[in-house]
Amino acid sequence: MQIAQPLQLAIEELSKLPSIGTKTAQRLALFLLKSDIDKVNSLTSAITNLKEKLRFCSICFNISEEDVCEVCLNHKRDRSIICVVEEASDVIAIEKTNEFSGLYHVLGGVLSPLSGVDPNSLKIKELLKRLESEEVKEVILALNPDTEGEATSLYLAKLIKPIGVQVTRIARGLPIGGNLEFADEATIGRAVINRINL
Amino acid sequence: MRLNYIKLNNFRIHKSSEINFSGHLNYIIGGNGQGKTTILEAVYYLCTTKNYSSSPDSEIVRFTEKEFEATGLFSDLTENKVRVYYSSEQNKKYYFQNDKQIYRAASIIGLFPVVILTPGDHSITQGSPGDRRKFIDSIISQASDTYLNYLLDYNKTLRHRASLLNQIKETGNRSLFGQLDAWSEKLIITGSELISAREKFAVGFNGYVSESYKIIMDESEIPQIEYYTLEGKYDGDYKERFRKLLESKRNEEIRRGANLAGPHRDDFIFGINGKNLKTYGSQGQHKTFQVALRFAQFFYLKEKKGKTPVFLLDDVFGELDSKRSVRISEYLKLVGQAFITMTDFSDISNLTREEDDLIIKVANGAVSYG
Repeated sequence: MQIAQPLQLAIEELSKLPSIGTKTAQRLALFLLKSDIDKVNSLTSAITNLKEKLRFCSICFNISEEDVCEVCLNHKRDRSIICVVEEASDVIAIEKTNEFSGLYHVLGGVLSPLSGVDPNSLKIKELLKRLESEEVKEVILALNPDTEGEATSLYLAKLIKPIGVQVTRIARGLPIGGNLEFADEATIGRAVINRINL
Repeated sequence: MRLNYIKLNNFRIHKSSEINFSGHLNYIIGGNGQGKTTILEAVYYLCTTKNYSSSPDSEIVRFTEKEFEATGLFSDLTENKVRVYYSSEQNKKYYFQNDKQIYRAASIIGLFPVVILTPGDHSITQGSPGDRRKFIDSIISQASDTYLNYLLDYNKTLRHRASLLNQIKETGNRSLFGQLDAWSEKLIITGSELISAREKFAVGFNGYVSESYKIIMDESEIPQIEYYTLEGKYDGDYKERFRKLLESKRNEEIRRGANLAGPHRDDFIFGINGKNLKTYGSQGQHKTFQVALRFAQFFYLKEKKGKTPVFLLDDVFGELDSKRSVRISEYLKLVGQAFITMTDFSDISNLTREEDDLIIKVANGAVSYG
């Protein structure tokens, strides 16, 4: 089988992307080949812009165009609450809800002695510094509810409480609009144990 | 749930065997090494996709052959055909339910509950605390997914914490203590869930064991299971006790680089009339206790899961006197369907048999009905 080299190259590069297999890469490459040159140019410049124009916010380590991100610069946001998350993708998830108007802090991971992740490899010192200098009253810990995420939450709570800032953790339980019968047993089990008064 | 039929191809000594089972008691009789236990092994395999002994799949393949296959027909509300096929050339196992391939073994687990009594059970009453924890954990996990999740979470916490303790031991770095506090807190939170579930289980399971023991033995002997956690008997305030114990062990934990306090060191002490079975029990009392534990497991799972498990008994009568053997065979009638291996015909002559009970003779991998 012979494939024109530029096409082969495009397929190979595309198939390096997450969740893209060779067949999907081939379909994408052929689609781009058939598209107008303008459309292809706007895609390539969008990708190049991504790398050239974006960096991490120097305050919260969220993705940002400038040295300080839009969330941190926005004076309408509530500066008394900081929501701590693992990765920048979690900021996107919470922003989509439109339920949170405070600030963020991206840790860049969670504690894991087994894989050698200690507090120094996370943005914890930076978080504590923010708590000292800013008018923060509450820190919401929104880490994943797994073993490492929970241990990290406990670690942060122990560091933050002495500063005199309230520490909360996001609730866990059943997905909204979901059917009870389709949730897995462990989630239902914990939701029953952590039930609340009405 | 009932198992009506199995077919074995190149499954250990069985070149090609087909067996139609009775819905009541199935006595599987034959000499040593003739393929009796293999039939139980195959049933267990069909129920769980796993081998109950730790031998790898490749060893199950009949000598000089390259693949094995086992098929079973279960009936409950509907009929279920289950088939396992293993090829040693691909070193791969295929599992089919009603001719549809099942890719996730986890989706089978719990579908066909099974309880097996083997001579290896002696470790439950005579072995280490770890053997007893494994036995108890396997029962609670089968009945509760929430428990299984806490157990996995706890074990992962133990591994992280051990790694951290080792780092402290090697570097002597005191700045790691803050992290240790967090992992200790995590250990206490998750461990407390295990302790409370085990205590609740031990109390409930005690009733099942007493009932079973009473039927096999006389009423003069009363069995007990006592739950020991955090270096003592269970009491209500285990969270605070856990915390204090961890504090007192701190230096030793760092010196040894190991987790020294928590439910991973729990024990369940078995006793008869208040006397410790492990210390004072006779061989017969041990065996009787092991049998009672498996019967208790059977009735516990039957009630919790609302599904009758398949009951497999490997060489249960070997070490028991005829009086107890008769009682067990009577007790088995309450179970419904069971599979029992025996080496001797003389054993069976003592037992009370019903018309529906089946005798299956096994000789050199060939099956006939007696």
